[in-house]
Amino acid sequence: MAETFDADVIVVGSGALGANAAYELAKAGKSVIMLEAGERIPRWKIVENSRNSSRHFNYNAPYPDMPYAHTTYNQDYLENTGSFALRPGMLKLVGGTTWHWAAATWRYLPSDMKLKSTYGQGRDWPISYDDLEPWYQLAEEALGVVGVDAQDQSGQNGAPFPPRSKPYPLPAEGKTYMFQRVEARLSPLGFHFVHEPNARVTKPYDGRPACAGNNNCMPVCPIGAMYSGVFHADHAVAAGTKLITDATAYKLEKGEGGKIVAVNYKSSKGDDVRLTARYFVVAAHGLETPKLLLISDVANSSDQVGRNLMDHTGMGMTFLADEPVWPGRGAVQQGGIFNRRDGAHRRDYAAIKHALANNVANPFVASKLIKEGVMGPELDQRIRDEASRRVEFSTVFEMLPHAGNRVQPHPTRRDALGIPTLTVHYDVDDYVKAARPVAQADFETFAKTMGGTQVDISPGWQNRDHLMGTVIMGDNPKDSVVDGDCRTHDHPNLFLATTGVIPASGVINPTLTGVALAIRLAHTIAKEV
Amino acid sequence: MRVLTSLAAVALSFAAMPVLAQDAPNDPALIARGEQIARAGDCAACHQSATKGGKTYSGGYVIASPMGGIVAPNITPSKTAGIGDWSFADFDRAMRKGLSKDGHRLYPAMPYTEYQGVSDADMRALYAYLQHGVAPVDEKAPATHLSFPFNIRALMIGWDALYLGKTAYTARPGLTPEQARGQYLVETLGHCGTCHTPRSITMASDTSQALSGGDIGGWHAPNITSDAISGIGGWSQAELVAYLKNGHVPGKGVAAGGMGEAVENSLAGMSDADLGAIASYLKVSAPVRDPKESKPAFSYTQAQPIKPSAYEPGDPHVQEKLGDGSSTDGAVLYNGACAACHGVNGKGTGDDFYAPLVGSSTTGATNPANLIMTILNGVDRRGADSRSFMPAFAPQLSDAQVAAIANHVLTRFGRPDVSVSEAMVATARAGGARPLIVTLMPWLMALAAAIVLGAGVMLARRKPA
Repeated sequence: MAETFDADVIVVGSGALGANAAYELAKAGKSVIMLEAGERIPRWKIVENSRNSSRHFNYNAPYPDMPYAHTTYNQDYLENTGSFALRPGMLKLVGGTTWHWAAATWRYLPSDMKLKSTYGQGRDWPISYDDLEPWYQLAEEALGVVGVDAQDQSGQNGAPFPPRSKPYPLPAEGKTYMFQRVEARLSPLGFHFVHEPNARVTKPYDGRPACAGNNNCMPVCPIGAMYSGVFHADHAVAAGTKLITDATAYKLEKGEGGKIVAVNYKSSKGDDVRLTARYFVVAAHGLETPKLLLISDVANSSDQVGRNLMDHTGMGMTFLADEPVWPGRGAVQQGGIFNRRDGAHRRDYAAIKHALANNVANPFVASKLIKEGVMGPELDQRIRDEASRRVEFSTVFEMLPHAGNRVQPHPTRRDALGIPTLTVHYDVDDYVKAARPVAQADFETFAKTMGGTQVDISPGWQNRDHLMGTVIMGDNPKDSVVDGDCRTHDHPNLFLATTGVIPASGVINPTLTGVALAIRLAHTIAKEV
Repeated sequence: MRVLTSLAAVALSFAAMPVLAQDAPNDPALIARGEQIARAGDCAACHQSATKGGKTYSGGYVIASPMGGIVAPNITPSKTAGIGDWSFADFDRAMRKGLSKDGHRLYPAMPYTEYQGVSDADMRALYAYLQHGVAPVDEKAPATHLSFPFNIRALMIGWDALYLGKTAYTARPGLTPEQARGQYLVETLGHCGTCHTPRSITMASDTSQALSGGDIGGWHAPNITSDAISGIGGWSQAELVAYLKNGHVPGKGVAAGGMGEAVENSLAGMSDADLGAIASYLKVSAPVRDPKESKPAFSYTQAQPIKPSAYEPGDPHVQEKLGDGSSTDGAVLYNGACAACHGVNGKGTGDDFYAPLVGSSTTGATNPANLIMTILNGVDRRGADSRSFMPAFAPQLSDAQVAAIANHVLTRFGRPDVSVSEAMVATARAGGARPLIVTLMPWLMALAAAIVLGAGVMLARRKPA
């Protein structure tokens, strides 16, 4: 008798990566079940939560942090050890953490993917840029990416790079006044500004309206112009995927021939369900994916699961320019200075990206002035003045993979379902530390050139919420978790759709790469199942 | 009788006539004129591909009719899949009489009752365009399969006999040349009455109420007669032209649904002279007044927004509530789902990029159908001046929530004595109310079956045992 399964493929996680994988598989005619720990929450409700929150800069605040589906801002849920408190803004609801992001959708450079062979640092990817290029294009079309075709994204002011097989799906938005002013004053010094490709559509696209510059990408786009995984979760369901919410996966079961045979999930209502499938895709975020593998004791013959954790650990600077630049008009970020994205210096210290932040400045300025005791009409006058002149750089560094930087199931703490919570150990490495003085010198040049006052450079390190390395990709099963197809070395029918597979971090936001890899692995599975 | 005679003549002429060169001269000027006529007739509205972005006139698009889905055929000049082997006479007969080349009867989704008034010159130009100005697509559109009894195309013999002659276009005397041109466009090529004229019980246009408003697929095509209150009498000539061209006029209204498509596919590409002619005729069309109406729909201009402090709950930090999207409080829903674009005050952006909800023919209408359908389906309309887009809210709002938002909008920004029920939203979501004939059909069929059965019983009784 033929073996029967609950589905051809079970996808754990309904974020941008899982939902895109599920959608591609459902489109190919496969039966798909998608599990989601959280619930489907309508956008209007999140917008209302955001408006009513008194913690506007806590980007997780409008989203539920439930005892059975915690977010990472819960101090009890995510424990930090190590010298830096790595705490990304992970969410649990249908659509995942792309409900709040800045929608930056960069491609890696060919050299980013060959860091070891080019610069002698870190690791190489087992696949090349050329392998990934067609999938980048599909991912950009899925997300509705806007961009400038003719620019050198490596930041060297050269010919258009990296190569593209087709133009961006949509044209770029116009440059904000702030971007124009900062560029006009700093580019004569040789700083190369690059527009940031992003998934805030500039024309109606896939049921989404054009971005109108609400400047609220985080915590939520009020009109759905910015991409979120929820769009493909809905597409996946429309294409036949069965979505089960309030379903936290807690165990993958091994069977004969190294295959995974079942996934078990629990719900807040006490359900404990075992589901079988021919193939499994774990798309549960860069911290939760390795946790699920570790508590299931799967895919870890290399002992690399959960290790090599990388973020684009960063630093920031603000100052008041000598002219009004009016931050806060348009999207929350548009790009920045990319001179140090690539170059021979990567043999010695990390690549650097200086992103120009474009948040409405009033709350930052007002809280600072109130702390200083400024009151009455002077407070109004100074908020108006200083909020118009505030310039903020948000800088990131390229981190290298280290076995000691790791996420693990917490040895004692359990959530309401009895599932271990997270513990993260993270230290910033010397590669990044060596780049800090370079960034600091750039900051001083920026501020001086723009007549900056009240220059404020962050003394410590900052989270950038880009999780990489935790289920690292490589050719060698002894030192990596998945191969170049995102298939686990240990289990032929288990694939991982997460930015956690990324073995060399570069300096660019990794979501687009994750989606490209997710679409690619879905096509691989569709051919086999 | 006359109809039957002509039917016999048609039947006799089935022997296929070859496409003759003189039927469709390959004359660029004629083809260009034909293209304009195809646009004025909005042929592409129905004869489009099954999915948006396919080849024009290739057919396959399913026209939602109350009787079921009617598939628009391929009208490209393909000899195997389209009308490439149709003579002008074949084409003319289909356009005016609703008879396909092979003799089968078209469903009146094809507005042949209107097209019978198209001038011979226009018909020849249109034929030349469809034979020479369009790329052939050798892919047949799927056949239409309506359910019984509407699948019996012969039923249309009776329908045509009843209505084809009655609805013929006749030029109204005493019009200026511009108004006369307008009447011709409105009543023939433009087939405005297909949507804007109410239908009788048998789904024929009720010409005594011409252009006074009709229901189609959940939308309401409003009264566009010259009446100052119920129709477009309060719109200036320039406003009407701008509306037809762009699909929106500040302070008057916006086009969505079928009218949005008509603007995009047809009206936006027509000449200002023809749009002016249409407007000038509508301004002198026979006025029809809805006695329930005392002022024009666009004249509800008093916004009564609710202060945010009156409904915002503050920051309770109750995690369970953050994920609870079940509210049916119209003010809360409006402010979360709508106000980011339309504003707390309902005034939009002032330039119609985001439409105002005050001074709008949609929110001031007696019939709230278009308000409901717009919330459910959104807007995607390319007019001559801009593209307008609103996402569809059907996937994320329940019927009760759509009703709550609609009622908030009507009370605060539109016509406050109109209200929307959950059931109305459910009907709209399912594609609109079904006409009486469709609702009655099972009963009519049961009645017919009873008669047949009764006759059978009688016959059986007469047989010797």
